[in-house]
Amino acid sequence: MLSNSELIKYFLIEAEDYLNTLIEGVEELESRDFNKDTVEALFRATHTLKGSASIVKLDKITTLSHKLEDFFEALLNDQIEYNASFLYYVKKVINAIVNLVNEVAETGQEKSEIDNDLIKTIDAIFVTKQLPSPEIIAEPFEILPVVNTVRIDLGLVENIITSLGEILVQKNTIADKERELVDIIEEISNSGKRLLKEINDFSEIYWFTSQEKGQKVLDSFFTDFSDLQFDRYEEYHIVLRKIQEITNDITEGIKTLANFSENLSFLFKSIGREINYLKDSLIEVRMIPAGKLLQRLAEAAKDIAESLGKLVDIEIKGAEIKLDKPIFDGLYEPIIHIIRNALQHGIELPEERIKKGKEKVGHIKIAVYKEGKNVNIRIKDDGKGIDIDKVKEIALEKGLISEERLPYISKEEMLSYIFAPGFSTSEEVDFQSGRGMGLNIVKTAISKLKGTIEVFSEIDKETDFVIKIPQSLSVSNLLVFRSSNLEYAIPLNYVEEVLSVDDFPELLKDRSFTHKNRNIPIKIFSEIFYPMNGKNITGGYVIILNFSGIRKGLVVEDIIGHEETTIHSFGKFLEGLRQYLGYYIASKGNPRYVVDPLKIFEEEFMFAAAKDRILETVLYLGSVLVVDDSISVRKALQNTLETKKIRVYTARDGYEALDILEKKAVDLIITDLEMPGMHGYELINRLRSDSRFKDLPIVVLTSRGTKKHEEKAISLGADGYIVKPFDDQTISNILSKFDITKNTIY
Amino acid sequence: MSEEIRKENEKSYCVFGIGEREFLLPKESVVQILDITRIFPIPGAPEYIVGALPVRGKIIPAVDLAKVYNVERLSYSDNKLLVIEVKGERIGILSDITPFFVSFEPDFVVEDFIDPEKLFEKLKIDSQKSNEKGNAK
Repeated sequence: MLSNSELIKYFLIEAEDYLNTLIEGVEELESRDFNKDTVEALFRATHTLKGSASIVKLDKITTLSHKLEDFFEALLNDQIEYNASFLYYVKKVINAIVNLVNEVAETGQEKSEIDNDLIKTIDAIFVTKQLPSPEIIAEPFEILPVVNTVRIDLGLVENIITSLGEILVQKNTIADKERELVDIIEEISNSGKRLLKEINDFSEIYWFTSQEKGQKVLDSFFTDFSDLQFDRYEEYHIVLRKIQEITNDITEGIKTLANFSENLSFLFKSIGREINYLKDSLIEVRMIPAGKLLQRLAEAAKDIAESLGKLVDIEIKGAEIKLDKPIFDGLYEPIIHIIRNALQHGIELPEERIKKGKEKVGHIKIAVYKEGKNVNIRIKDDGKGIDIDKVKEIALEKGLISEERLPYISKEEMLSYIFAPGFSTSEEVDFQSGRGMGLNIVKTAISKLKGTIEVFSEIDKETDFVIKIPQSLSVSNLLVFRSSNLEYAIPLNYVEEVLSVDDFPELLKDRSFTHKNRNIPIKIFSEIFYPMNGKNITGGYVIILNFSGIRKGLVVEDIIGHEETTIHSFGKFLEGLRQYLGYYIASKGNPRYVVDPLKIFEEEFMFAAAKDRILETVLYLGSVLVVDDSISVRKALQNTLETKKIRVYTARDGYEALDILEKKAVDLIITDLEMPGMHGYELINRLRSDSRFKDLPIVVLTSRGTKKHEEKAISLGADGYIVKPFDDQTISNILSKFDITKNTIY
Repeated sequence: MSEEIRKENEKSYCVFGIGEREFLLPKESVVQILDITRIFPIPGAPEYIVGALPVRGKIIPAVDLAKVYNVERLSYSDNKLLVIEVKGERIGILSDITPFFVSFEPDFVVEDFIDPEKLFEKLKIDSQKSNEKGNAK
């Protein structure tokens, strides 16, 4: 069961809504006279209020709402005639309820007694079916609003939040400009100081040297003094003195400017703070307390448990934590999925639990709590736990991991494979959660909310799911980095750590490294985003990303910093650029592309799904890599080969081909000679000098029919040479020549 | 142009040039003509999208039709970006000349006319193309 105090919190949030409806309704009746629709709305509100109050055992509120409900009902059924005194009693009851609700909010209990006279009067009205004459003085509403609330269209809030996002961008621009200003002032101030020093030095040295050289000064300031009172000055000295004075003035000016800029910086800083504060409070406006969600989940969980014959105690925590509306809406499905799994496969039947020495009643704990800028949701059950050996077995069987990598995989990483597509540890098929556990759906739903999910489990003890979600979806926290003179950003919620590549000398060569006892595979950003650019990365940083417990490293050239901003979508025209989540314009005016980390490591996550499909549909007889810069050739070859049950990989040039060969098993390569990037000769040459590929059959498919080209290709190590165009028969001949169709790879 | 007395039902076009060829777009779809200051490449975009031009907090993709229609480009200097609005989105088209407007009688058949919507559909990067690319990786 839910703890009562948690439920009360939830009740209070709800009661506030209903009481507002009641007050608004009564005010409407007052100003516009009797109106059946309004009375119906009032009736519904009191009915729900009564129901909610009875669940949390607030008896007095229940009694009063019940009376009010009857009162409205009587009016709706024309049992009593409406007159102004009706509202007097209604208000009295509402005030009494507001009073009680306030007491509950403060102390958790209903303190005041019900006004029995009021009840009696109302009961009497029910009997006599007659309202007292309407001369009774109007009863004002008690100025005891439960909480001050205003109802506002969500779209309006969205608009404000959007423009606030723009303001945040502007704020960042101003912050940058302000830094520039400080730099400029510092520079001027240094130059000023140098100028002053030079002039002082200069005058000290030359002050006396040219005194003897004739030419009297005509300036009255100097000539008014006799020679005895004053040194004799020449024009030269006057100029010198004037320059000194001007320099002093400039120095003063610079000082003032420095003071001014300091003040300005201070103002910028405080406006920045205010904007941040504004942003936080505005975002909160759109938020909904988690209580409503938890309540729905708990109710649903109880029903599911009952239908499964399992005894379970559901505990909820963190009802007061607020969630962004879209997050609130998106969380129910994934969480109920996890709970359903916990009830179905986790929590044992009562007899079984007793046999295991556990309490007869199982426990599920749903806790919502804040952690930095994230909201975490933890769903913990004390059921069977997840059998890690079973997970290992299935992961191997489905080809999610290879035997070789097995020793490097930690227990927690192994567990995270339960989120892989097509994975299931349960043999049962049940109509509600579909086939098996289907945790991939959960993960996808959480990813849509820019969140992550991790699982921890101990066999026969507990399973613990931790969902981490950014508190707001409209403002994103990003890690900004640079690669090949362009700037990119990656959502901070995936980022676990940033390390220097220099600390792991073998990292680039091995394409993986060991950190905190985990073997983490890496990818190099520039290789993925600039495949044509053969430049090798030598240093930089490795960003460790955590995908629901699976860690991957992304190597980038330079880290710029952290930024909080609103991401724009690329729009329909560019929507195919799936590697990006969107972009924003940095304060310097350049775009920063926001990279989707899931897409970068997609193959590794999607591999299982793709393979699953293959198992279900066809068995491929072999695999061929087609390398050609022309899409029509690639497509034509792909079609021809696929009808022959060949798995086809395609590449546009040598670089892409090499990339594929690193990841996929290929039985034959069909390559063009002329291609941008790396051409065919170079590809053949590279493959033949790599011990892994020196025996891999390579067939050249080209429009170059001359003997010279053929000889060159063959001398480099090509095994066949076909001149375009090709037909079906040619391809069949090649396949049989290299025995491709005899292999079975899947 | 604006001083000419235009006949009621004449149709107006915007003329822009790539290399030695000229193309026409309906005048209504033209939003603005920009000087190209700096174009930022978008890695992963097809070759004909030469990059993005940031304008007021948003980016406008710059399309080089020379790569689409296989036109020889003479020089890269003095490029203008003709910004059109199609389906609520802004797209920039590189032009080797400063685009200008012309009007014709409605029954005049214009050659080298580009339908912005068709262009949009033809050139937009859809998931299909990116899948194709994804496979190639």
